[in-house]
Amino acid sequence: MSREELLERFVRNAEKAQFRVHRGEPPAIEGAGVSVALHGLADTGSVVLAASPNEPRARHLLGDVHVSLLAESRILPDLATLFASLERPLPSSLSIVTGPSRSADIEQRLIVGLHGPAEVHIVLLPA
Amino acid sequence: MTSLSRPAGSFREIARGRLADPDLQATFDGVTGRLKKHRLATWDGLEDPERLRSRAYEIRMRTIDDLERHLAAFTEQVESRGGHVHVCASAADARKTVVAIARSAEARLVAKSKSMASEEIGLNTALEAAGMQVVETDLGEYIVQLAGGHPEHIIVPAIRQTASEVARLFEQVEGAPVSPELQELGQVARRQLAHVFRTADVGVTGANFAVSETGSICLVTNEGNAGLLTALPRVHVALLGLERLVPTLDELAVLLQLLARSATGQPLTSYTRLVNGPAGPGETDGPEEFHVVVIDNGRARLRGTRYREMLACIRCGACINVCPVYRKSGGAAYGPVYSGPMGAILVPLLTGLEHAPDLPHASSLCGACTDVCPVKIPLHGLLLELRKDLVEERITPARERLAFRLWSLAWSRPSLYRLSTTLARLGQRLAPRVGPGRAWAAERALPPLARRRFRDRR
Repeated sequence: MSREELLERFVRNAEKAQFRVHRGEPPAIEGAGVSVALHGLADTGSVVLAASPNEPRARHLLGDVHVSLLAESRILPDLATLFASLERPLPSSLSIVTGPSRSADIEQRLIVGLHGPAEVHIVLLPA
Repeated sequence: MTSLSRPAGSFREIARGRLADPDLQATFDGVTGRLKKHRLATWDGLEDPERLRSRAYEIRMRTIDDLERHLAAFTEQVESRGGHVHVCASAADARKTVVAIARSAEARLVAKSKSMASEEIGLNTALEAAGMQVVETDLGEYIVQLAGGHPEHIIVPAIRQTASEVARLFEQVEGAPVSPELQELGQVARRQLAHVFRTADVGVTGANFAVSETGSICLVTNEGNAGLLTALPRVHVALLGLERLVPTLDELAVLLQLLARSATGQPLTSYTRLVNGPAGPGETDGPEEFHVVVIDNGRARLRGTRYREMLACIRCGACINVCPVYRKSGGAAYGPVYSGPMGAILVPLLTGLEHAPDLPHASSLCGACTDVCPVKIPLHGLLLELRKDLVEERITPARERLAFRLWSLAWSRPSLYRLSTTLARLGQRLAPRVGPGRAWAAERALPPLARRRFRDRR
């Protein structure tokens, strides 16, 4: 798969997972949490966030709006390629995020933004 | 003793109550039907689902055959990162272990994310008896906890509560009126539980999988509650069913492709988290202590039996949603934790067949469960094996065993077989009116027999 195809596939699936995807310019949202993503996954439209001194484990779960910054060159095809590419030792925690916090526990109807953010953005940074 | 089983005869009793309730019938039909539809919709997105299922089966069985080695490797990895692994033989051991961890952390508030293993060992009661407050943070489990009941479905615990019922439960916590409007209920739950996340001393989660190569536990949720519990409380305890080990991350990827698809029809849930230890140096959140409590509770001894394939189960709930018996009876009839075909097999295996003798019969043996199982467990075949054991271990009532013995004797002799068909033809008008025939015919028609037997036709 070419880099363009991978990118296009990522955007399509991320939007399907209810991310809002932006190119280059981060949206101006007051109070939004911002994380730098380690990778993106084209197959599922996920962002991969690794815990580190700069990236707390819970950051992407606090607040109503969250923005992930993702370098286009960091997009991988899928879970299997992600797991194969991870350096050892692994980060203390790794979160693969595929959309907003949601629940269908009441009458199987969708609630968005339960414990985590209801609104999630991805800002793609060109290589 | 675990808190899994119910007394004999209760399946029929509870199921009868459910059958008489048209609202509940509509709920069970609606929810299981929707989950089934969602599952089918994402299944098509897979390139070769049959190959993936076979691979998953192979991974699960290979790991189960070599559990000691994988557990040892997992333990070594977790300990090398500063975590602790506790292997518990019984539910009581597991309860004691978690209570001791919480006590030494001087915990007052324990927050939990959804864990069927926790339900299985009856953890909440034990923590409460030790003087701690326990709060479930998965929305469905929170509702079930406020209602004072048990989960009725492993994926949708509060399957039977309506929005108005949930509003009434939330009002008791809120001390003020709560609107049954859906988004409002979400906001109220978010507010009530935000405080719990911030102030809990211990976070207890389950573990969907554990990876021996890396010492990781894997947690999947849609709400994000498990993620918060692996980050905010001082101590994180993960409850891991002994059989949920996976050798490598590569093999974990195979199982993750199947789990959410089979459960809710998503390619992945909103949050898939790997935890590899306590907070690393310089990190500003994450627990000081990370404990994995490995629960055997009857699992290890299944490996040498013809039920070993049941250990492959990844708790996705797909078999529950297609089961015609579950769709009528609901979950409570099976007992407080596991239900549907997987529950009808697992509960007798974990507690002993004599404690759940009606569960192997809670199936039409249609095989829909076997067809949908993402890890290819021959579910209805195992139910049949359990029925055999019921007879061989003489748990089946003596009268029933005698009846089948007489039937078998009669039909292995041509003269008695012929006599029985003659009697059946003559007696078919009478049969729906007396004895067991009457009970059978009360809800279905007896198939009519031909006026002349095939052997009498010339």
